[in-house]
Amino acid sequence: MLIPTVPETKPIKLSVRDMAFSYGQKKILDGLSMDIHAERVTAIIGPSGCGKSTFLKCFNRIHEVSTDVKVSGDMQIDGVDIYRGGIDVVDLRRRVGMVFQKPNPFPKSIYENVAFGPRLFGVQDRTTLDGIVEDALRKAALWEEVKDRLKESATGMSGGQQQRLCIARALAVNPEVLLMDEPCSALDPIATAKIEDLIGELKESLTIVIVTHNMQQAARVSDYTAFFWLGKLVEMDLTERIFTTPRVQMTEDYITGRFG
Amino acid sequence: MNAAVPVFRRSRTSKAVDRLMRGVLWAIALLFVAVLILFVGAILKQGWPVLNLGFLTKMPETLDAGGGIKPQIFNSIYLVMLSLAISLPVGLGAGIYMAAYAGQGRALRFLRLCIETLAATPSIVLALFGMIVFVQAMGWSFSIRSGALTLALLNIPIITRVTEVSLLAVPQELREASYGLGATKLQTIFKVALPYAATGILTGLVLTAGRAFGESAILVFTAGTNASAQFPDFRLTVPGETLSVHLWYVTSDGTLPDAREIAAGTAAVMILVLLALNLLVRLVDRTIRRRTR
Amino acid sequence: MRQFDTELKELREGIMAMAGVAEEMIELTIQALAEPSPAKAEQVNHLDRRMDEWELRLDQQCIDLLALRNPAASDLRRIASSLKIIPELERIGDHCCNIARRVGMVHPPILAGNDLERLGTETRGMVRRAVDAFVSNDAALAHAVILSDDSVDALYGKIYRDLLRIMLADPLCIERASHLILVIKNWERIADEATNIAEEVLFILEGHSAKHPYLHGDSVE
Repeated sequence: MLIPTVPETKPIKLSVRDMAFSYGQKKILDGLSMDIHAERVTAIIGPSGCGKSTFLKCFNRIHEVSTDVKVSGDMQIDGVDIYRGGIDVVDLRRRVGMVFQKPNPFPKSIYENVAFGPRLFGVQDRTTLDGIVEDALRKAALWEEVKDRLKESATGMSGGQQQRLCIARALAVNPEVLLMDEPCSALDPIATAKIEDLIGELKESLTIVIVTHNMQQAARVSDYTAFFWLGKLVEMDLTERIFTTPRVQMTEDYITGRFG
Repeated sequence: MNAAVPVFRRSRTSKAVDRLMRGVLWAIALLFVAVLILFVGAILKQGWPVLNLGFLTKMPETLDAGGGIKPQIFNSIYLVMLSLAISLPVGLGAGIYMAAYAGQGRALRFLRLCIETLAATPSIVLALFGMIVFVQAMGWSFSIRSGALTLALLNIPIITRVTEVSLLAVPQELREASYGLGATKLQTIFKVALPYAATGILTGLVLTAGRAFGESAILVFTAGTNASAQFPDFRLTVPGETLSVHLWYVTSDGTLPDAREIAAGTAAVMILVLLALNLLVRLVDRTIRRRTR
Repeated sequence: MRQFDTELKELREGIMAMAGVAEEMIELTIQALAEPSPAKAEQVNHLDRRMDEWELRLDQQCIDLLALRNPAASDLRRIASSLKIIPELERIGDHCCNIARRVGMVHPPILAGNDLERLGTETRGMVRRAVDAFVSNDAALAHAVILSDDSVDALYGKIYRDLLRIMLADPLCIERASHLILVIKNWERIADEATNIAEEVLFILEGHSAKHPYLHGDSVE
């Protein structure tokens, strides 16, 4: 099921065709196809265990770190297969940044957290680094709050600040896509609202894919919503349509809380 | 609808059992503290009169009273340092390998079994092994190098295990964060995992040092019961009697008229050093924690 | 059953009850007009107060559900449409009152035949079927209601022209005829409201607006 014909002006950034994902003997994702447009927010919703987080992780191959898995079918970024032999995983992960469910700053200073990525790619010059760090923190709407305590430990910040720091850290390597795996599930409503506002600002220049178990959040932040169930894409459409007139009964049942 | 709602009340006995258990656990804890205080107190009480600058800075006597323990202090520290210098890179490397590179296969399980067996081997067995291999087969006789190598065998499994456990305790989220930014495995280990695990590894290291410092059986059979007449003697080929060996030797040999006093003083020095080491661990641990978490 | 489903059921039952009052008012209006009976006209007036009370209560229920339940998809459509159906019902009541007020001013009858009764009963039928469509989620019935609006409009046009002719022929009838014009206008409005309700039912069931079909050209989708 593909995105319906809507007047979409943004190019396709990520494209998935007949993608399947197995872990051992177990098929987690099956027969997935969808297009994700640049500078749009695409939300993935679905009940726990529907494979939505797994799907997200396939875009930067981060799942390969901990599990022995098999991905088949096509996943492309700008028309290039993510799983093609020649692709540089390190470069892929730089281009496709990730923000995780639980804020996971390194137990280092705020500055060092943001500088971590650029340093990996060989940026040593102090003034250049300073510039990158400030820029990333500004984009993550955190600069004003932390500019006077960049040397302090990141783990002393509030949960919401930590999560924005993680966003800044991801932004510091200038990614094209930002994957967000339930980024607000550990945050209070005010911190959540800040992250949601931030998502709205970031999509000006980024492609954002967000997994959320909070349907209202998907409704608030996303342009497109995809509903997953048991490893399959049930329906994907403009978010307004999913939340007012879904076409598939299962989506309707899930959206209205009558699922299962 | 109108079924009687049971009244939930904490039963009297469960409260009593709770209180009783708390009391028992307190008593056990108190017992340990008491034993430790009595034990340390007794040693320090006997050793304190002997402890003075002369005792710490004089060479030992062979027949007369009034000998010091200067070379034994030096040998203890020297041997611990040497053994750590050997076992640290090996243990660290093995630990990193097991935590980060070895798969989940049978080979790893076998390797872990070997290391655990080595860790559980009584030191007297290691002592005999060291004597047969280094002292006799290699022909190094009782020497610092035989002692340091055998002592390293004692340290390696502990350091390996501590490194592995500390690395495995690094939260998966941090590793994912690092990989997510494009870090390689090696970069992730050195820039994220090891700094995070440093406290644990360091604590393990100091405890290893403490154990090596107090070790006697191994050194009796490999480093010998003589201290060099030179001071300080950095040669690896000379015998190197340590504090713990000295303590054992003077009491069992019985030729020194003041053997009792020397033993008491030596024991006191050892206890104080170990206490200092443990305090050091705490201090290091706390400063690292404060800096990074 | 979910708590939310229970609340939706309560809302639905409230709307059914309000629609019941509306139908009762229409029935009384038809009778008051035919007999003529000032007492039944007064009863209509009295029932309008009940309608107003229902309106306030059901509006509040809808607002509460929107605020507390974050409805989506068909739930959202049902509540949003309810918010539009409720005032339609209330206006039906108002129109009945407008008609009932004129009961004494249109007698003795000047219209030959039973066109006036037919206008009343056809309108009543449309309201009844629109409410049935809402209650039983019947899209076909809702479509039928929308179609039958044309026949009510046609009947209205015929009576209107008859009245003009009567007025031209006999100036003594002008006063009664002008009141009758207002009466039939009110019936025609009630039929429009039934049509609006049917359109909301279609929106609930099918998810897209049935209103203003001329706007649904290719340019929108």
